Amino acid sequence: MAKLGYDVLVEAGAGEAASFVDATYIEAGAKVVDAATVWREADVILKVRAPELDELNRMRDGITLISFVWPAQNRELLEKLQAKKATVLAMDSVPRTTRAQRMDALSATANLAGYRAVIEAAAAFGRPLGGQTTAAGRIKPARVLVIGAGVAGLAAVAAARALGAVVSAFDTRPTVREQVQSLGATFLPFEWKNETGEGEGGYARQMSDAYLEAEQAFIAQHAKQSDIIVSTALVPGITAPKLITSGAIVSMPHGSVIVDLASEQGGNSALTEPGRAVEKFGVSILGFTDLPSRMAPQASELYAQTVFALLELVTKDGKVTLDYDDEVQRGPLVVHDGKITWPPPKVAIRAGAPAPGVPTGTHKTVNEPPPSSPWPLRIGLMLALPILAVLALDGSPSLLEHMTVFILACIVGWHVVWNVTPALHTPLMSVTNAVSGIILIGGLLLGRGRDLSVTTWLGAVAVLVAAVNVAGGFRVTARMLKMFRR
Amino acid sequence: MMPTTVPTVVYLVAGVLFILSLRGLSTQTTAQHGNLLGIFGMVLAVAVSVVGLFGLEVGETARSTDHVLEVYGTALLVGGLVGGFVAARVQMTAMPELVAVLHSFVGVAAVLVGIGTLMEAGSNIEMAHYVEVQVGVFVGAVTFTGSVIAFAKLRGTIGSRPLLLPGRHLLNLAIVGGAIALGVLGWGAEPDRALHYLLGLTALALLLGAHLVMAIGGGDMPVVVSLLNSYSGWAAAAAGFMLSNDLLIVTGALVGSSGAILSAIMCRAMNRSIWNVVFGGFGAEPAAKGGAAQAPAGKYRETNVGETAEMLRAARSVIVIPGYGMAVAQAQHPIREITDLLVARGVKVRFAIHPVAGRLPGHMNVLLAEAGISYDLVKELDEINDDFGDTDVVMIIGANDIVNPAALEDRSSPIYGMPVLEAWKAARVVMLKRSMAAGYAGVDNPICYRDNTVMLFGDAKQTVLKLLAALQG
Repeated sequence: MAKLGYDVLVEAGAGEAASFVDATYIEAGAKVVDAATVWREADVILKVRAPELDELNRMRDGITLISFVWPAQNRELLEKLQAKKATVLAMDSVPRTTRAQRMDALSATANLAGYRAVIEAAAAFGRPLGGQTTAAGRIKPARVLVIGAGVAGLAAVAAARALGAVVSAFDTRPTVREQVQSLGATFLPFEWKNETGEGEGGYARQMSDAYLEAEQAFIAQHAKQSDIIVSTALVPGITAPKLITSGAIVSMPHGSVIVDLASEQGGNSALTEPGRAVEKFGVSILGFTDLPSRMAPQASELYAQTVFALLELVTKDGKVTLDYDDEVQRGPLVVHDGKITWPPPKVAIRAGAPAPGVPTGTHKTVNEPPPSSPWPLRIGLMLALPILAVLALDGSPSLLEHMTVFILACIVGWHVVWNVTPALHTPLMSVTNAVSGIILIGGLLLGRGRDLSVTTWLGAVAVLVAAVNVAGGFRVTARMLKMFRR
Repeated sequence: MMPTTVPTVVYLVAGVLFILSLRGLSTQTTAQHGNLLGIFGMVLAVAVSVVGLFGLEVGETARSTDHVLEVYGTALLVGGLVGGFVAARVQMTAMPELVAVLHSFVGVAAVLVGIGTLMEAGSNIEMAHYVEVQVGVFVGAVTFTGSVIAFAKLRGTIGSRPLLLPGRHLLNLAIVGGAIALGVLGWGAEPDRALHYLLGLTALALLLGAHLVMAIGGGDMPVVVSLLNSYSGWAAAAAGFMLSNDLLIVTGALVGSSGAILSAIMCRAMNRSIWNVVFGGFGAEPAAKGGAAQAPAGKYRETNVGETAEMLRAARSVIVIPGYGMAVAQAQHPIREITDLLVARGVKVRFAIHPVAGRLPGHMNVLLAEAGISYDLVKELDEINDDFGDTDVVMIIGANDIVNPAALEDRSSPIYGMPVLEAWKAARVVMLKRSMAAGYAGVDNPICYRDNTVMLFGDAKQTVLKLLAALQG
């Protein structure tokens, strides 16, 4: 950070809990001061959690704050920051695009949280997670259900698998199925009418009430057979959905464990108490909100990286300079110039097809096939539709039959030929050449049941040239193929 | 006597055999088998059709007269013998020509079958049938002259530079318009008149085919030949529609899509759209911009055979990039001997093939195979492009545009964006070339001026032979 041209102040003892001693900061070129000085002097404040009330009171007007804010749940906080004319970049609102990946603190910490959740659950669970057959009898592997296969969920799946548990995972977004399966867990498919949980930017979205009910029933059914539930279901901007009903908790085996990673946003289970471990109906419900902090050295390192990446992006000549047109900067900007600027304007994350009429010339970006212009397809459709219409209304049945055969054969050919290795393209051409000599049969058909006439002579010449084709094509292909050897 | 369903079933079997044949071609190990399946299918189909001539089917009362049988038999025999003979004798370097000329035969056959069908049908022809005939004849004729011109260009009988008539797009449009008009006029006319109109349409289509291919330069030949391959398929399919024969339709469609895919692959390898290739008249473009007139923009260093041999001896890994120059000079055999020598010394030798190297899709692979180089050593662009960085020596033999770094670096270059073999990333590059002339695209190649590049001038075969001698000595 010092390299970006900032003078850096560090609150005394800030890194202690994460085993970073003050001396290391001094070595890195920072000044270590007490908390009051930080709030009094700094222009830019980098923090983890959203500021508390007393911190707000100490805050100077017009500073820049970078931390978690949770703008959707903390309207009040936003208003206070607004009154302070602060510029606030919320780490939790960084858009999920490729470019912003380095700044995605949520993903970075969620990864750790998911891992830690399994460790906590394993500690609270009275039995081993992995199965074994010992002389004294069989140890059954624990059954772990992970709800929400986001970053945290997937980390939890991986950790639980690594400990030997039988893992299944549930998510409303069907697209994550492969990711779950790639980690060796079972994906529990849940389908309800036509809704999928895929929201914008790769996050889950809020679902209808009826959907939620169906989802609760589905989870309750699977909860019965689970020893450990790790729930990570979050929808950006709103309180976490209550997916695990008290009924479901009651039905779980005694001694089971629920780790609720969503507890800070209200919890996924009906009985979660944020920040505490409780036992209800024989089930331990862990609502810790500080899972990443329990692995403080790693968590703070990762968080520091993401904050630094964001700071680096907005820094020009040692000053914070924002670029509103950059979605990566605009996304997290929640308070600025005395205005609340959350939520950000919607930005299409993936650009669609290029606008029609864009010339597809020779100048293209490297290694990217030219974006296929939609026109050939459209023209094709425009041509095909009237033809199909005419055929449908007025075509002779035999023509239609032939059309069917033709189109299906085109599709078969298309698929078969794509598999041909490029090295064999020349033999492919010569063999297709020979095969297209099948037109020979056309010549033969002209000669059926007739005496010599102009028509039959035409047919005979066609047979002659086509025969050259057939014999030549196959022969030369055979010659070429004989040469290919290892 | 055999039931009429027998031919249909045989045709079905033949169609399936053709599909399996194409599938067999997807890997080297199964390719020969695939070819045999194709031959088997063809024999079946032809045999059952010949049986038809004898009128042996139920309901087909008439047997063709002996004259017809004689003529047809002779045609089959002579055609088969000629084809077999030519195919057995042809040089592997002449493959592109052979393929082109064979395409033209399919075109001719389609035209003849079309005209014959119309004459036979006379005045009581259905609309759909009539349209099928017109389309079939049109496609066949375009295929015919297109292939003939492509053949002549590949042989060098006609110069490979594109012939760009002023207003050529309009001319093409006018020809197509005229053909459609003739087709419409012929509909419902007296059989004789209809035939005349059809002949007129044929003439126009012949002109169109010739003109289209004349406007395309030699380096685009891989695309053109694959396109013509595709056309010949569509022509066969159209003949199938005319004759209500499903086997022709299926086979034509297979060949048509196969050619279309090849064209698409070639176009992708040149980062150009199919329209650009067919209508663009590429080679002329840089000249218009003054690109071709540019003097070589830097200093190159020349080397000799002795130094190159030293370099190869000292290398641990070598990649050879062959181009059309190797094919022209027939240098593949001595190259194979060099490869054997180097491999015996423990050098890792591989060949990098760009999709559009040569004048035919897969041209280089065939030549290297002919020389007896194991196909395991021969790599495609995507397989090998990342490996150049770890390579000691790259030997470029008669290739130019496909190793041009300007395609990646120079936005103003006409070939910018085309995928190229990144030869310049290797420690040393030796470029065998006849002279400092620009490649086909008329674009200067900055790779020649790189610090790690040395030029070895001369005819590829002579140079390679000397190199071989130096390595042996």
